[in-house]
Amino acid sequence: MLNFNWLTDVSLDTARWIFLTLFIITGIIVLLIPQKYIYEGIKEIRIWHNLKLWTIVLLTFYFLIYYNF
Amino acid sequence: MLAGIDYFVVISYLVGIMILGYYFKKYVNDTDDYFLGGRTLPFWAIGMSIVVSDIGALDFVGVSGQAYRYGISPANFDWLGSVPAMLLAAFIFIPYFWKAKLYTIPEYLGRRYNDYVRIIAAVTWIIFFTLNMGVYFWASGILLESIMGWPIWYSIIVTAIVTGLYTYFGGITAVVMTDVVQMIIMFVGGFALVFLSFYHIGGWEGLVTKLHEMGPEYQNHLNLIQPMDTNTPFPWTGILFGLTFVMSNAYMIGNQAIVQRCLTAKNEWHAKASMIFAAFLKMFIPVLVLFPGLVAIVLIPNLADGDKALPSMIREVLPPGLTGLMFSAFFAGFMSSLDSMLNSTATLFTKDIYQKYVKKDAADKHYLAVGKIVTLTILIFGVISAPLSSYFEGIYIAIQTFLSYFQGPIFSILLLGIFWKGATQWGGFTAFIGGIFSSFLMYQYSDSLFTIQNPFLYVSWWSFIVGLILNIVVSSFTKSYSDKKLAGLVYGLSE
Repeated sequence: MLNFNWLTDVSLDTARWIFLTLFIITGIIVLLIPQKYIYEGIKEIRIWHNLKLWTIVLLTFYFLIYYNF
Repeated sequence: MLAGIDYFVVISYLVGIMILGYYFKKYVNDTDDYFLGGRTLPFWAIGMSIVVSDIGALDFVGVSGQAYRYGISPANFDWLGSVPAMLLAAFIFIPYFWKAKLYTIPEYLGRRYNDYVRIIAAVTWIIFFTLNMGVYFWASGILLESIMGWPIWYSIIVTAIVTGLYTYFGGITAVVMTDVVQMIIMFVGGFALVFLSFYHIGGWEGLVTKLHEMGPEYQNHLNLIQPMDTNTPFPWTGILFGLTFVMSNAYMIGNQAIVQRCLTAKNEWHAKASMIFAAFLKMFIPVLVLFPGLVAIVLIPNLADGDKALPSMIREVLPPGLTGLMFSAFFAGFMSSLDSMLNSTATLFTKDIYQKYVKKDAADKHYLAVGKIVTLTILIFGVISAPLSSYFEGIYIAIQTFLSYFQGPIFSILLLGIFWKGATQWGGFTAFIGGIFSSFLMYQYSDSLFTIQNPFLYVSWWSFIVGLILNIVVSSFTKSYSDKKLAGLVYGLSE
């Protein structure tokens, strides 16, 4: 059990999709964060202050890397 | 091994860094400036500093060596093993740490649980950083001797003087701002090597074709996800459970050297943004440190020791001048890790030990002096203890393993501490101690418990689970703090 033998039958493709799903879930959770919390500390809000956008762009890059490799 | 122009580049770099770091002395007037940069630093500088602190000179060689042996799967440590953790840190932990005006992680644990948890966490980190300093000095000295031909003591003394000078006088502002330059040097030197390496083998297509031609043992070299029965230490289950869920979180959220940088941010947005920016920069790290090792498989096959891949590639593809820049990148990695250890240890000792237990109500100037003295003392101890490493074979691995005992338990108490107000002081204390004990037992009986050779990823996961269970069980039978006391320390409970 400590070696995760119960996951032996999971194929590598499924494993890859587990990782990809992790990126998707992370992105969805970040999108659900209240907008006000994202801009805490900013006086004049600009589009580039939107950390949700940063995160989605970031996760897209990582998604593509794991999708291809 | 170096041409005249290479010496010129390396020496110019060292002198430039020393002058730049020393310049920030004028911004240090109190402990807030020395340990937290007066909470004035921008996200981009902090983000660059986080990334460069994470990559040491040893990583350049070590990760290239792993790529030579195992392919691209070690990249998981910088990609999957960083990004979700850094986002969790950016959006949940760092804002709370920043708003609570903390200096250290143990300080949070002390406020959230009790002083026992605080002191154990602080002493653990101080021991780790202090022991690691000497070992790191020696290992980096040997590395620079083997690839540059510089005597070990020459590298150690030069690095100690340059790093010590700016860290002693300029505190964390000097550390972060010199890290910015170190990162640029590292990226320019590293990418020069990567581009020229690929040029020699006909680009990415050339690498893929040649790797496939080399036989079936190289078929998995371009796969990030490795099967459970892989002969690498990175089966996908270990990467998912041990690395992604525990070790990366413990590192990005529980490591004083990383978190302290975010606490220097000028406001909450900059604190969050610094982590996300660092996660973006992290994307390039495997390209820098791993791809030269991958190309070496094709260009210099049959190396007996994979760790020779990077030095061999430097000799093979880099012209004079760029070689000097690459060696400057090694020094950058060396110094950026060293300055982090120095400043973080000084912060931990001054705030969690000295101010808490030795002298409580002294003037701020007194604590500033203590911080500086500790910085200098640890540096001298590191230099003096460096050669001892040569008498203890495997000490580097032993010290890293020592830290891995704590990763799972510390993340378990941080996670429950911030998300569950029901976690009590004794729940946290029991989870921390019990989790460490479970790690110890698992390492003791690793041969019978685990099938892979170095089960550090699995030990981290299971000790994390032990920590979670102990915390929940003990907290169920003990009294939790009031909402008022927990305000600002638990998610959803604002001050």
